[in-house]
Amino acid sequence: MKTLSPERLRRFHDMVDDYPNKRSMLMMTLRLVEEEFGCIDDAGMEIAAELCGVAPSHVQGMVTFYTHFKRPDHGRHRFMVCATLMCALDGNTDQALKQIKDKLGLSPGEKTKDGLFSCEKVECLADCDRPPVVQKDFEHFCAMKGKVLDEYIDGLLKKEGKTPEAYRAVPGAPMDLRVSVLPSHYNFVGDASRTTAVPPPLHTPLSAPVADGVNMNGAKHG
Amino acid sequence: MAEAFKPVILRHINEPGSHTLDHYLARGGYETARSLVGTADPASLIKIVTDSGLRGRGGAGFPTGKKWSFLAKGTGKPIYLAVNADESEPGTFKDRHILEKDPHQLLEGVILTCWAIQSRHAFIYLRGEFILGYERMGAALAEAKAKGFIGKNIFGKGFDLKVVVMRGAGAYICGEETGMLSSIEGGRGYPKIKPPFPAVSGLFQCPTIVNNVETIAAVTHIYKHGAAWHKQWGTEKSPGFKLFCLSGAVKNPGVYEVPLGMPMKEFIEVYGGGLVEGRSLKAVIPGGLSAPLLTPEMVEKCTLDYESLAALGSMLGSGGITVLHDGVDLMSAVTNTMRFYHHESCGQCTPCREGTGWLEKLAHKFHAGHAHAGDVDLVGEVAQNMRGRTICVLADAAAMPMQSYLEHFRGEFEKRVHEPAYVERQRTARDEITPEAKRETVAHGAPNVTDVGMGTDRV
Repeated sequence: MKTLSPERLRRFHDMVDDYPNKRSMLMMTLRLVEEEFGCIDDAGMEIAAELCGVAPSHVQGMVTFYTHFKRPDHGRHRFMVCATLMCALDGNTDQALKQIKDKLGLSPGEKTKDGLFSCEKVECLADCDRPPVVQKDFEHFCAMKGKVLDEYIDGLLKKEGKTPEAYRAVPGAPMDLRVSVLPSHYNFVGDASRTTAVPPPLHTPLSAPVADGVNMNGAKHG
Repeated sequence: MAEAFKPVILRHINEPGSHTLDHYLARGGYETARSLVGTADPASLIKIVTDSGLRGRGGAGFPTGKKWSFLAKGTGKPIYLAVNADESEPGTFKDRHILEKDPHQLLEGVILTCWAIQSRHAFIYLRGEFILGYERMGAALAEAKAKGFIGKNIFGKGFDLKVVVMRGAGAYICGEETGMLSSIEGGRGYPKIKPPFPAVSGLFQCPTIVNNVETIAAVTHIYKHGAAWHKQWGTEKSPGFKLFCLSGAVKNPGVYEVPLGMPMKEFIEVYGGGLVEGRSLKAVIPGGLSAPLLTPEMVEKCTLDYESLAALGSMLGSGGITVLHDGVDLMSAVTNTMRFYHHESCGQCTPCREGTGWLEKLAHKFHAGHAHAGDVDLVGEVAQNMRGRTICVLADAAAMPMQSYLEHFRGEFEKRVHEPAYVERQRTARDEITPEAKRETVAHGAPNVTDVGMGTDRV
């Protein structure tokens, strides 16, 4: 059975004084769970439910209502491309999506078969002066198209030891973000096709120091 | 007479290290809070804000001092301050700059506001996508706590203040004040019915003041310089200055701080550098995606204040100005807009949950050229029926732009109608059942009429 690490449990208990009741800590607790396991699965939801004294069903209601939480069916590297009007004007969103499609073979709403990458359209990311805006997990980029985006994806591919050829011609698998992936302790044989082959733990901890000199919006390619 | 305007809130954001405490202290930071907290009379502080004429910068433009004075008194319950940093109105990115580049300015405003309304517990609710902003706010809060500006017995004045920075997780509806309160309480971001207003019964059923980031940041400067200083800019009913976010087809998009009442044309020309080369103006979205469109003629006479835009049937909203050039396909724009609202509707109220879906599907039909003649009126009808019938204003926010597209660019809708004459004939045959048609119905079952309604031809 999964548990939170002592460090993150300490951070949970540090928060207790800040909130009038445990239920109101749920949003931040879910973020701790997300950070700990790289995504929020059923076991993570149960941990959050127990810590905050609410029913697991309520937690599932939260996790499926808010779209920014990372779910098990997302890829390890989760691309979120802003598709709202200000980014979509002049084909900026389409350009970013096309480049992701060309490199990784992914259309919006899909992940690669090995679970490493996923791509989705999201609504406004509030940086409308420099479209298109793209977030990759907890990294935020603006004006993310052309060479900058290509190089960024190449860097990720290299980090994972992959080449674009491995993905380019292979169609992506659709993500079903509403469905939970059953954790092993249930001792219950679920639908194997829904289980992500590679679990996606990759989140930079939120406490990471912010280096001065990087682009204010985190775009390291400036 | 008014002195030449220099940015107030944004003055320091481009200096290196502007987000650190040292930088903020070096420019006189926290001095106003130090001198007022614990000594100034809270009621007189509320009066200063009322006198300054400051209006909420989040979108509705409600007078801030008035909102504070509505606070329920003598309830014996704690009072909460909730700072709305869930900046999710498309086209708006001003709060991001305050959170990332000058978080201490906001914190000082929070301290002053909390003393004025006698709240000892403040929440700053950031949207989940503000990653750098969350880190910077958290770091700023830790610095302020270490200095004794926030926490127990702040500035040694015997006033305790708890400030909590928390994150949402990607829901537009949490930018609505009661939706945000639901989210802080640990639930889905469902707006609550008003009244009771948050000032009477808000967070945890306690009196709560909800203000936008920019409003709170402006409060610091108003206390520093006085109400008269704030009133020297702007118009009589919209005094002061405001951040405007310029995006779309201009040469220099970005966030600019200008006095209210500036002509929109001048703002676009001087600050935005005019339209991009080789393009002409088609329309302007003046206050975030939910603000009704302005045509070029309306832009000519529009000034950037609450009244001017209201008189033109639009709104100043959050100050997110998007310029659409003549090459923009409006049917594509309206489809995109409606998809946004359909996606973001929380689903509590039927007129919104269903209405936004209808508008999206209808917009798709026009976009794809599948629309029928009656659909032009149907769009207006659906939009009108969504307005004022829901808990929060998301339904109105979806209906208003749709109605304005229809009002100003009806021709664009009609151009996309598929075989209008044929469909109109069919529609007449269905809608006005003539004696002949009725006989036909009896003889053959259903009349032989093409379905012109919704549902069968989803695009």
